[in-house]
Amino acid sequence: MLLRLAGLAALALLAACGGLLVGGSPLATTDVMQALLHPAHASAVTTIVWQLRMPRICIAIVVGSSLAVAGALLQGMLRNPLADPYLTGVSAGAAAAISIAILAGVAPPLTPGIGFVAGLGTAILVAALARRGGGVDPNRLILAGISLSALFSAVVALVLTRAQSIDYEQQIIAWLAGSLAGRGWHSLAVALPYATLGMALALFAIPALNALRVGDVRARAVGLDVGRSQWLILIASSLLAASSVALAGIVGFIGLIVPHLARRVVGSDARVLLPACAFCGAALCLVADAIGRTIVAPSELPIGVLLAFIGVPTFLYLYLRSEART
Amino acid sequence: MIELRDLGVSIDGRMLLRDVNASVEPGEFVAVLGPNGVGKTTLLRAIAGVRPHATGSIVVGGEAVDRLRPAQRARRMAFVTSDDALTDALKVADVVGIARFAHHRWWEWSSTPDDEAAIERALRAVRMEAYRERLFSTLSSGERQRVWIAMGLAQETPVLILDEPTSHLDVRVAHKILALLREVARRGHTVLCVLHDLNEAAAYADRLMLLGCDRLLAFDRPNAVLAGDAIEEAYGIEMERVRLPDGRLRVFARDAVL
Repeated sequence: MLLRLAGLAALALLAACGGLLVGGSPLATTDVMQALLHPAHASAVTTIVWQLRMPRICIAIVVGSSLAVAGALLQGMLRNPLADPYLTGVSAGAAAAISIAILAGVAPPLTPGIGFVAGLGTAILVAALARRGGGVDPNRLILAGISLSALFSAVVALVLTRAQSIDYEQQIIAWLAGSLAGRGWHSLAVALPYATLGMALALFAIPALNALRVGDVRARAVGLDVGRSQWLILIASSLLAASSVALAGIVGFIGLIVPHLARRVVGSDARVLLPACAFCGAALCLVADAIGRTIVAPSELPIGVLLAFIGVPTFLYLYLRSEART
Repeated sequence: MIELRDLGVSIDGRMLLRDVNASVEPGEFVAVLGPNGVGKTTLLRAIAGVRPHATGSIVVGGEAVDRLRPAQRARRMAFVTSDDALTDALKVADVVGIARFAHHRWWEWSSTPDDEAAIERALRAVRMEAYRERLFSTLSSGERQRVWIAMGLAQETPVLILDEPTSHLDVRVAHKILALLREVARRGHTVLCVLHDLNEAAAYADRLMLLGCDRLLAFDRPNAVLAGDAIEEAYGIEMERVRLPDGRLRVFARDAVL
């Protein structure tokens, strides 16, 4: 199992290296190596590597791993394979707040922070509505998440219809489609502490996730404080999803599908599943970003759109093939 | 020892059972009986501490269950519930291994030799040691039931509480499981178990706890419970009693006998 995990880590590393080499201006491996080894050396390649590609690669790693781990956390807690990180309304809340902020003319550097706060706020509201006893009721959580998401989606639609300028509309749509374009070290610095906190909390949730595999009642019977574990998992997944939305807008597919792919490779033991999701999510995000930067260069395709186009058919093919075998 | 004092249990505000007073000694095998919907499962879940009770108190090993921390409670009592599907592809040994949760601190993620030994003993006890590496999803419902029981045994607690452990089992396996529970009780554990078959319960249990009409109707030796009117009161049908050559009573629904 550790070998498979190492394989996924190598895949993510390979994707990161590939991400450094490809883009609007293809770079030679030796030039990239030089730029990496001598970051202070002033050259066009150094600028491209350290100011453009490296922050994007780091952001792609954070976004991909955060969404995949958040998806695995929620699927494990709810024992629902259809759960995804946006179930708690994080994306819809963030999108509504960012749309309003763009319409109100708030400075672009502030939008990630607004998205993060609104996303997290929505998740807290959904969790409060789903509260029951010492924990949360999974059905209530899903209903509250869907209801609030619908409400906030309506807010986004309203903002789009009221937007007076095409520029505002494009900015909003870029957020909705999910994109890493124009993100730099500053964006990463805003979201990284929260993503790191989310990952740390996810580690604490590993024993609980493993116990919850036999259902809430049995997990309680073997000594798990189910209510407390649910809150831990909700906080961790909300922090991860909100960080990701703040960094890249709404990137779909990863949080829903990657946990399924990772389970097929390493099984459902959370001790290996969560790292596997992190590696796999990062690799996918890196590959999609690299393709998005190159196939229509110098323009870019949004990462969310690319992930859906490439990932969904690939997943369906793998899933149906393995179903046919069993 | 389990002590129930003026215990009441409810579901969604509706009282199912009131004023239940009973105590179960270590080494005793008690079968909980009663018609469908009377509150057997709710009572067992309340005793096991996996759901709150409405009134009164439940004391296990000298401490109120609702004051115990989850891990403390799980080191005193194991609760085996009926089959339900697992969403993850888990091996039998993995499922049983989850029972060892309370024996670990939160940072101890790997199983210890003690865990492995407990899993092995539990699987051997339910004759499932050959299925250790099998996927749970490939087992029959009877085999799954034995895995759930193994999970309860692997928790290695003084008290074992089981909700219908013989459902889904054929008569041979059911009797093996009940004999195993009898043996567990003989080794000093307290066994509290919901059963539906009155005669199966009378054959293996030390005492029968009969529930009906929102209260505890009888709690006594099998012959005393089967001989009394409480059985008819609980189930609302007339019973035919048959005495075996060794003096033990067996009961059958009169319509079924006719």
